[in-house]
Amino acid sequence: MDKNIKSGITFGLIGGFLTFLFGGWSVAVLGGMLGLGLGLSLGSRFERRNPLQIARASFMPALVAAVILVGLSLVQNIFILPALGKARLFDNQVIIANTIGFLVVLLLTIITCAIHGLSERQEGIAKLVLLAIVIITFPFIDKATGLRWSAQVIFALIFVILGLGLNIVVGYAGLLDLGYAAFFAIGAYTTGILSSPQHGIYMNFWLVIWIAAGIAALWGLILGAPTLPLRGDYLAIVTLGFGEMIPVIFRNLTEVTIKEPFTCWILPGITNLFGAKSTLACITFFERQDLTAGEKGISPIGRPSLPFIGEFQSDNPIPWYFLIIVIILLSIFIIRRLRESRLGRAWMAIREDELAASQMGIDPVRTKLAAFAMGATFSGFAGAFYAAYIRGIFPSVFDFSASIIILVIVILGGLGNINGVIVGGLVIMTADRLFLPALKDFLASLLTNTILPSLAGNPVLQAAVKDNANPILYRFLLFGLTLVIMMAVRPEGLIPSAQRRMELHAAEEMAGPVIPEETAKPNAMTVAGKTKAAAKKR
Amino acid sequence: METTKKKNFNLRSLGVLVLVLYIVFLIGPIAGLDVPTIAASIKANPLQLIQFLIIGISNGAIIAIIALGYTMVYGIIELINFAHGDVYMIGVFTSLTVLSLTGTLNSTNPVQIVLGLAFALIIAIVVCASLNATIERLAYRRLRNAPRLAPLISAIGMSFIIENIGLMWAAQAWLVPSFGTTGGASQKVFPDMLSALFKATGFNGGDVNLLVASGLPLRLTVKDILVIVLAVALMTGLYLFVQRTQLGKAMRATAQNRDAAKMLGIDIDLVITATFLIGGGLAGAAGLMAGLYNNTAWWFMGFRAGLQAFTAAVLGGIGNITGAMLGGFLIGLLASFSDGYLNARWTNAWVFATLVLILLFRPTGLLGEQVGQKA
Repeated sequence: MDKNIKSGITFGLIGGFLTFLFGGWSVAVLGGMLGLGLGLSLGSRFERRNPLQIARASFMPALVAAVILVGLSLVQNIFILPALGKARLFDNQVIIANTIGFLVVLLLTIITCAIHGLSERQEGIAKLVLLAIVIITFPFIDKATGLRWSAQVIFALIFVILGLGLNIVVGYAGLLDLGYAAFFAIGAYTTGILSSPQHGIYMNFWLVIWIAAGIAALWGLILGAPTLPLRGDYLAIVTLGFGEMIPVIFRNLTEVTIKEPFTCWILPGITNLFGAKSTLACITFFERQDLTAGEKGISPIGRPSLPFIGEFQSDNPIPWYFLIIVIILLSIFIIRRLRESRLGRAWMAIREDELAASQMGIDPVRTKLAAFAMGATFSGFAGAFYAAYIRGIFPSVFDFSASIIILVIVILGGLGNINGVIVGGLVIMTADRLFLPALKDFLASLLTNTILPSLAGNPVLQAAVKDNANPILYRFLLFGLTLVIMMAVRPEGLIPSAQRRMELHAAEEMAGPVIPEETAKPNAMTVAGKTKAAAKKR
Repeated sequence: METTKKKNFNLRSLGVLVLVLYIVFLIGPIAGLDVPTIAASIKANPLQLIQFLIIGISNGAIIAIIALGYTMVYGIIELINFAHGDVYMIGVFTSLTVLSLTGTLNSTNPVQIVLGLAFALIIAIVVCASLNATIERLAYRRLRNAPRLAPLISAIGMSFIIENIGLMWAAQAWLVPSFGTTGGASQKVFPDMLSALFKATGFNGGDVNLLVASGLPLRLTVKDILVIVLAVALMTGLYLFVQRTQLGKAMRATAQNRDAAKMLGIDIDLVITATFLIGGGLAGAAGLMAGLYNNTAWWFMGFRAGLQAFTAAVLGGIGNITGAMLGGFLIGLLASFSDGYLNARWTNAWVFATLVLILLFRPTGLLGEQVGQKA
């Protein structure tokens, strides 16, 4: 079979499966995404020639995909929904939604394919325009079709920013940071403390977001300065420890008392031994202050407001959506410039060979510190946005699992590649926040209507099946599998940067064992020699 | 050697140390380090100090056994086997399941309890050893020559997978009825088998506390004795194995220089698999011991235990088997005193703070690290 038609079938089946889960108007929106994806993947296969010819060649796969999508969507509407005991859409709505879906798949596939027939420059512009249209129209389409995906997409975009920040640390500088969510938490808590009734401070969001980023960067420096000279895997553990400590600290900063130790107990203790009494007064900085409200969390947190729009409301995701899009665009711009700068090239040099880089005059610790601080800055932005968007922050949000989700995003998308990280963030977070809940609902209604009644005779088995059919409970299994499989199969990520890919596959091409430059000492117990060797190797 | 020693004790380091100590005491009270309060409570009840010492040593023995797995693997392939703590968690669940399936949990027959515990120990060791070796085969072996971060990331992924297996396991009430219907995420009770054994035999008046006759307000239970004795026996066995046997020699050779060992005809894959088997087996034994000692089973317990054990391994000097034992006991004591005198909610923070301080001031650990060169 033709390769193009095959990918048409694949895309159609994926889209069809998703419409099974989401139902309703999702066929139109999913059709749009399907069209774009299919068009992009088909387009690159054609040689650059007349756009019309390409459009003609891409018609058949597009038609196949559209037919499969709409067919599955109709099957879902007509047969599955009644079987699940759910109301289906009104019949004329089904027809309209599916017609739109059908047309959208065809049109978008052919257009995105045909773009490839233009000259390289024009293609770039056309792709940008297409992307801009999709990004701008998405929240309005989402609202019109009543899918309510925007709120979750905003979450995904927050994690895209976090991924971009972590990408600087892990992807560019090659430092494995397992506690990245700590800086996210610091950004969020800074915002919470500076614009909420907790301390009666109500600062403007547009100011707070910069303060949050600054404080997160400062903490990046504070944490990085002592730990960055450490070995790579020790650094990972120390950052993990820091990431573990931060939620604990925020959870327990409810009765903060800080007293100067010398005047409060060291001197009185010593004088007490001699039977005298200290005359110095005890200097107290804080006495039982509630800084973070512990498990209850800080809320409500002030929201941003703009002229003409007014204060951003929680029931209207559109302004939030565009705000985060603006933040992401700014971040991408800054990160691109950084990567091309002297500092960015120094990061990559350090990542590839620290010893050689330091011989070339790069200060490794300073360069790494800059990476740490820059990475923390972006999570400060994300944290401030998150706090204002959710309006309340709780310590449990920022634990180790959040750090790992961000790491999975970077690994899945592609270490060191901005586009890869964006795709990774969208895939992981929409899978986590949209796909899994939909799958859970689908499974639950499927089970209650079909399998569970037939197991009524065996209550133990019935309960076991019912309890275990919850994909949300096991979402981290998915992330763990992603990490292991990506490392084994494609360590460079879905959309790798060319440089990183060569690096990660270099070892496979290296033939035979490498003779170490310093033969090991015969005595296993010599410590100094070992550390010297370890330092040399890094 | 001489220069590093001199460097460690110059004036600047001393100044830094004093500054760090001052900061610790300045902000320490937030995390429970309030010296006057601690002094007062020690004065009020000095015997409690001994009690915390006992608890600390027993918990430290368990941590030490887990730490051995980290340190052996790190010594040989320079990888933090992130999933190791979760293998220990699987050990807890395996032994609990075996005890439940053999009917030992509800038994009042002392012979059956003893046999059931022995059987559970063997099964837990076998399951965890093979699980650990499987992890190595699936997730680490093909990444042995990849950049250092790749196997570490793979290890984190493996840790999450095993944690979720534990989460699923804890939801299977049909397998172990005592899990109840609260779902997999809640903490489960690991029945106190040793107290049951004492009740069944009537030995020591049916009380598990050996000091009950002395009238002291102290508890030195058979659990403490068992954990410490078992731990010391395992550690001695491991030490003798590594020092005296052919395979142990091969392990040390591989740790020193993998390529040289290969050239001398040592089967590297076999040595690494053996290391993972031994480490996993020790984690399985630690699982049963911890279950009996702390009486809980939780799918997330491996994460914390793993971090404590890793800290212990670094504290003693990574790659150093004696160091891991020493570090385990020290971390156990630290955690126990922190629970008792500082604030239990901050114990983990103190353990991590210790880890950071060790890495800053003495990255080679107390007894020095023993890590070879990675090809």
